[in-house]
Amino acid sequence: MSGQSSSAENGQSGPAGNGQSSSAKKPAERSGNSKQVYLKVAQITEVQSQDVFLKDVAKVTCKDQVLLSKCNSLKIKKIREKKQMRYVEDVLDIIDQISQLDPEAQVDNVGEIDYIIDYRPPQPSKVLWQWCKTIFVCITCFCGAAFAIMTFNNDADVPALFKELYRLVLGQEAGGPTVLEASYSIGLAVGILLFFNHFAKWKLTTDPTPLEVEMRTYEDDICKTLIQNEGRKETKVDIQ
Amino acid sequence: MVLEYKILLLGLFGLAAGGIVAAGIFAFLVIIGVFPRLIGKTKTRGDILLYETLIVAGGILGNILDLYEFPVPVGAVLGNALLLVFGAASGIFVGCLVMSLAETLDTLPVITRRIHLAVGLQYVILAVALGKLTGSLLYFWNGIGSQ
Repeated sequence: MSGQSSSAENGQSGPAGNGQSSSAKKPAERSGNSKQVYLKVAQITEVQSQDVFLKDVAKVTCKDQVLLSKCNSLKIKKIREKKQMRYVEDVLDIIDQISQLDPEAQVDNVGEIDYIIDYRPPQPSKVLWQWCKTIFVCITCFCGAAFAIMTFNNDADVPALFKELYRLVLGQEAGGPTVLEASYSIGLAVGILLFFNHFAKWKLTTDPTPLEVEMRTYEDDICKTLIQNEGRKETKVDIQ
Repeated sequence: MVLEYKILLLGLFGLAAGGIVAAGIFAFLVIIGVFPRLIGKTKTRGDILLYETLIVAGGILGNILDLYEFPVPVGAVLGNALLLVFGAASGIFVGCLVMSLAETLDTLPVITRRIHLAVGLQYVILAVALGKLTGSLLYFWNGIGSQ
């Protein structure tokens, strides 16, 4: 940030070689600093229009109202292609553009350094297709969970274990299902509900559910990978 | 009197076992990253609560069906259709699961790095998928499981 402020200083100090007056001015400007701009850039922003403005991707504060409104209406990117894409951008470009708006502006970024613009062209909402996808995932979730618990019961041979345990404790063979199967099923249900923290709309606590947490982690990983892919300049062999 | 205590003991054992198994299995399913990936691919993150409800229901029903083996009398046509859906869905799920597992353990990155694989990673993945298909078909056709 200090590099930014000194370049703004130089642009304004007029004749070159007047280093002393420039440095003498500095503290005075700092004290009455209304041109301090704070940026908080979000990691990923979804946009629908092809013109991306600063206020779309970042929160901006500045005491100088004129500069603030100028900043907010600053166009930081024009997306040319009308197709869904993610663009990895650098906050230095924004700082550069703000200092072009007002050479005296001092910019501090308190948000992300690299950020992503996720462009999705406006398209007619395909409600039917959305529902098809949701139903597909629902069926996979349901059958997957059923499959997983059945394979576990089979792998660990839970029925045989229960039979053995029944014989050990009660000293007689179990004829048909026993209390063990019933309580195991109930315990399993309670365990799953406790783990997922909700059933349908009914929630135990206000914590986010495990799948929500995992989903967020997954999305963060995607963002991080996109940014790192952009930043890495290396041979193709190495990147794998 | 002793008999009642023993049954009570067994009941407690079952409850605890069920709770722990549920925690283990379902934590594994969520952490391994199959569901986030499916949700991400289909861009339906608004429906997470619905999916979780379905996972809960699937786990509970699957377990009861497995332990009690009660018949599901729905007729031949509907029964076959249900089995078809269940087979396809659990096949997709297991396919995702094994790849997630391989990915979590960094199998592919490690191997590609070891042998300096530069091009054609997509064919490696295709080969893995085809290999799984062939293996699965061989397994069921030759009845390896029932031997």
